[in-house]
Amino acid sequence: MKKVLIVDDASFIRMLVKKLLTENGFEIAGEAEDGKSGVEKYKELKPDIVTMDITMPIMSGIEALKEIMEFDRNANVMMLTAMGQQSMVLEAINFGAKSFVVKPFKDDIFINTIKQILL
Amino acid sequence: MSNYNSNDALLEVFIFELSQLINQLEEQILTNEKMNYYSDSAVNEIFRIMHTLKGSSVMMGFENISSLAHSMEDLFYYIRRDGGQAIDFSELVDILLECVDFLKVEELKIREGYSLEGENSELLKKIKNLIPTINKEIKVKKIPCNNEILFSPISSQKDENNADHFYQAHIRFEDEISMENMRAYSIVHNLREVQNEIYYIPLDIIDNPDSAKIICKNGFYIFIRTGCCYETINNILRKALFINQLDLIEISDAKEFKQQVELFIQEDLMDEKIEIIDEQRDNVFEIRNEKSLSMQQNYVSAQESSVSMQHSFFGTQENSVSVQQNNISSQNNHFSTQQNHNSSQQSIISVNVTKLDKLMDLVGEMVIAKAMVIQNSDLAGLTLNNFNKSARQLNKITAEIQDMVMAIRMVPLSTTFHRMHRIIRDMNKKLGKETELIIIGENTEVDKNIIEHISDPLMHLIRNSVDHGIEMPEERILKGKSKSGNITIEAKNSGSDVHIQIKDDGKGLDRKKILQKAKENHMLTKTEEDISDSELFNMILSPGFSTKEIITEFSGRGVGMDVVSTNIELVGGSVSVESIPEQGTTITLKIPLTLAIIDGINIKVGSTFYTIPTTNIKEFFRPDITNIIRDPHGNNMIMVRGQCYLILKLADLFEVKGASSDFSNGIMIMMEENEKIICLFADELLGQQQVVVKTLPDYILRSKKIKGISGCTLLGNGGISLIIDVAALLRLDV
Repeated sequence: MKKVLIVDDASFIRMLVKKLLTENGFEIAGEAEDGKSGVEKYKELKPDIVTMDITMPIMSGIEALKEIMEFDRNANVMMLTAMGQQSMVLEAINFGAKSFVVKPFKDDIFINTIKQILL
Repeated sequence: MSNYNSNDALLEVFIFELSQLINQLEEQILTNEKMNYYSDSAVNEIFRIMHTLKGSSVMMGFENISSLAHSMEDLFYYIRRDGGQAIDFSELVDILLECVDFLKVEELKIREGYSLEGENSELLKKIKNLIPTINKEIKVKKIPCNNEILFSPISSQKDENNADHFYQAHIRFEDEISMENMRAYSIVHNLREVQNEIYYIPLDIIDNPDSAKIICKNGFYIFIRTGCCYETINNILRKALFINQLDLIEISDAKEFKQQVELFIQEDLMDEKIEIIDEQRDNVFEIRNEKSLSMQQNYVSAQESSVSMQHSFFGTQENSVSVQQNNISSQNNHFSTQQNHNSSQQSIISVNVTKLDKLMDLVGEMVIAKAMVIQNSDLAGLTLNNFNKSARQLNKITAEIQDMVMAIRMVPLSTTFHRMHRIIRDMNKKLGKETELIIIGENTEVDKNIIEHISDPLMHLIRNSVDHGIEMPEERILKGKSKSGNITIEAKNSGSDVHIQIKDDGKGLDRKKILQKAKENHMLTKTEEDISDSELFNMILSPGFSTKEIITEFSGRGVGMDVVSTNIELVGGSVSVESIPEQGTTITLKIPLTLAIIDGINIKVGSTFYTIPTTNIKEFFRPDITNIIRDPHGNNMIMVRGQCYLILKLADLFEVKGASSDFSNGIMIMMEENEKIICLFADELLGQQQVVVKTLPDYILRSKKIKGISGCTLLGNGGISLIIDVAALLRLDV
């Protein structure tokens, strides 16, 4: 089973994503509620893929993405973004995010994106 | 899709988060209002709150919440970017608070299970009107491509391969994936390492979100000159997600390549020219020349703004520190609240309160069981040294577990206290008064169950203070007081209670008026001269008592203070009122730290056991008959050190059979509550015990309300003891 690290400051979203992933046969490696602990957890847990929210306190998703990519060139990071965050998505792609999903997302799009990244 | 239970759990988490966000938002708005502008950290914080709210609510399908949040997010994005000087501050605050109120109502609806059809279009319009029309200029900059930029490569290539291949790719994405322009950019990004030259249409995928629509309609075109073979390019393209249709064709030579590119660009320009309105034609010409520069600039500034936003996030901590150094007292509260927020984001888990209640119950059972073991009648009279040692150890550990469980349920009063800021602000505005709120000891904690019962009384007391107590600013100045009134809420621990004091520096209670009202309501039991201030003032806590001639929106109906005392007594606490004319009024709430486990003294009257809470006991003594007298009403009184106290014989009150009536054959217990004293006469004193309070069973409560008994408990010997409600007994006789 592929292991996923969920990084999002909204506990509601973390819960939603966790439920969705477990129902679709993924294992939850861990959760983090800001970029900084997201990076720490990545180094500690070495998940197969990370779902990363963009706007977070302490350290944003973009910063965290950067640090994770520096740590692991082949990291799979999928950004979770809300409508209207074009420039940040752009930045994320430039820093190496494998793909992004826009909120509100349909469950199958979310899962398919993850599966495709892990192919 | 998923079962009922997990959807419920999701909703619960959403609601919890929603209420937290609303509180944080309101706090940010109010604290900064006093400064008359919003600091960077406040703007960022509000932006982040709105953003999170938008994301969560849209996932749950609460469209009216998410559209409002989106609107506010836009507003604060604008403020963050442009500094917000163009916006009238007080208007902004009013609208923001309106939004907060809207959200609170929606939250309530969600909690109660009603559907959310809250109309927010008025509000959205107001928010939109706040944002000045600077946005139009930006739209002009986004007008698409010129020719110059196309014929220079987007990024430099790695090595010049001799075998140059030319390809044209046409890509269509799946429906409804949104942000197609970003997906397209992603593909271009993936190709950057293998391309020697690359062009794509539409070109403005980076900074024009509308290009997504064009990609939807026409698809995305890529022209690439590369050293790679067909297979490689095909594979790279296919790796992109959500592609519905991909056509990759090889172009034979450089000349045809250039022709195709120009052709497509012209067509693309044509399409977009048609969409451009004539008025902006001049702007197009201007911008065409500086297009490459401005495009770069846009991209750079987009990056800059996101970088500066991150700096602001990092700077949030520093900002709050430097603000504190400015020495505004309200900022101290703000800072400590931020600290609480920040530190509360580490290592905290949320636990369902029902689980905690169950845990409390079990601990209670454990205390009883432990007592039944240690004080077991089988062991009476035996010398059990080792057993006693182990028993002491058991006692110690159970006490620690108890303390821990109670500590877990403790919640600081800060949230409740901070809600009062909003109330004061609203009352100030409505009544034209000026009042400052000072909060002391907000970190004092009380049991979670109790906190719900404190909020409403507190609100009412604050409202009373501002409405009745604090004078209008002009009047205050005439009296030589400060222009704005002061209300202080102070909480502190005192023994096993928490004391909450609400103190104002207003005009105080009017003794004459209260006397008058008391007379009207036939509440005077003593003469006008005999009745002390504190007894008189405490009468305002009775139902129906109000000296206000006119009923206002906030007070005058006479139900408020009664609600206060009922709520507080419900949790086993007490209310007392003090006042000095022209100086102010102080109301003190005494609330026990916990309802469930108390220290008690067990007594016996006849064959019935009773338990008196230790905190209510002043002293025990064997009475001397010579000190006992009868008063004109026939009550027994006892003299102790020159003071006269009423004697209460439980045997008489509760009609207990077999109790001693002889005062020389029993024990007197002096009980006290709120500085009122009464002496209880009992047959025997049994001992001290930590007692688990259990409520009286339903069948008793339903049939008759027994005054003077607050619950029952199990004794160590297995018998049942009734717990005495001292406050109630004292009231019976006053």
